[in-house]
Amino acid sequence: MEHPILFISVILQTIGLPVPHGPVGDTLLAKIVSPHLTYTWLVMAFLIIVPKLTLGKLEMIPGKGQNFWELIIDGLEGFMAENMGEEGARLMFPMLATFAFYILTSNLIGLMPGFMSPTSNINITLGCTLIVFTTTHILGIKFHGVKYIKHFMGPIPWLIPLMFPIEVISHLARILSLSIRLFGNIMAKETLLGILFLLAGAFFAPLPILFLGVFVSLVQALVFVLLSILYFSGAMEHAH
Amino acid sequence: MSNSRKEIMKLLGDFSTIGLTLAASVFVGVGIGYLLDHKVFKGKTAPWLTLIFLGFGIAAGFKNLYMLAKRKDL
Repeated sequence: MEHPILFISVILQTIGLPVPHGPVGDTLLAKIVSPHLTYTWLVMAFLIIVPKLTLGKLEMIPGKGQNFWELIIDGLEGFMAENMGEEGARLMFPMLATFAFYILTSNLIGLMPGFMSPTSNINITLGCTLIVFTTTHILGIKFHGVKYIKHFMGPIPWLIPLMFPIEVISHLARILSLSIRLFGNIMAKETLLGILFLLAGAFFAPLPILFLGVFVSLVQALVFVLLSILYFSGAMEHAH
Repeated sequence: MSNSRKEIMKLLGDFSTIGLTLAASVFVGVGIGYLLDHKVFKGKTAPWLTLIFLGFGIAAGFKNLYMLAKRKDL
């Protein structure tokens, strides 16, 4: 398959940096300038600069930009509050809102020609998932102390040798399923778009997939945040 | 968005995880068993721990399925 043209990689190549042609480079420098990392930085810069520009100064009577951001933030907080309670929502809001914005933006950025979704690389999604997994257990230990181990024991004492491995495996399976769901959906979208552009780009063949891509990007960002909320609230509530 | 539609979106997100979680549990079970067999015990217990943990993995997958099936809030 023809390599897609990614404009950051082209710019970096003309400067003289060793941009890898495969998914991962050999040296440390090649790893740093690989496309999924440079596009992660682009998304981060976008998410830092654009709210700064549109928000302006915070005012009592919001203008256009502030109204927009207040609507989004308020909706997100309400969504979290009804799923994990007011206290948990206030505690975990910064992290989960960051995940929501980052994943949504990096899913949608791949729909433009010349850009690539960072989430179509498994290293990025696995990183996000490991953060969620670690935070889940930190929250459990913070809220329950040593008694957090009761979450893994099941209800009946003599079934503990059976239930403990089952619970541990089902917790570890979350890492796999959460990361592979996001990665698989986004990579499928990217690959399909690339192939359709090559085959029949002049006849607007990728157009229906672009439409579906918007839907998939929204739903996958929502599902990632929703599942993180469910895991967090599961760790915070009392053992059955 | 109306309230019932929000609820449907949430349930869709929740229940679309069933298939992948079932598969992932089996793979994690087999992976743990294989690691124990070949890396920890150096192949002395060769097929047995893999098979036992395959059973644990399948049980974990079905336990997840069962917990989702008997939710009270539906």
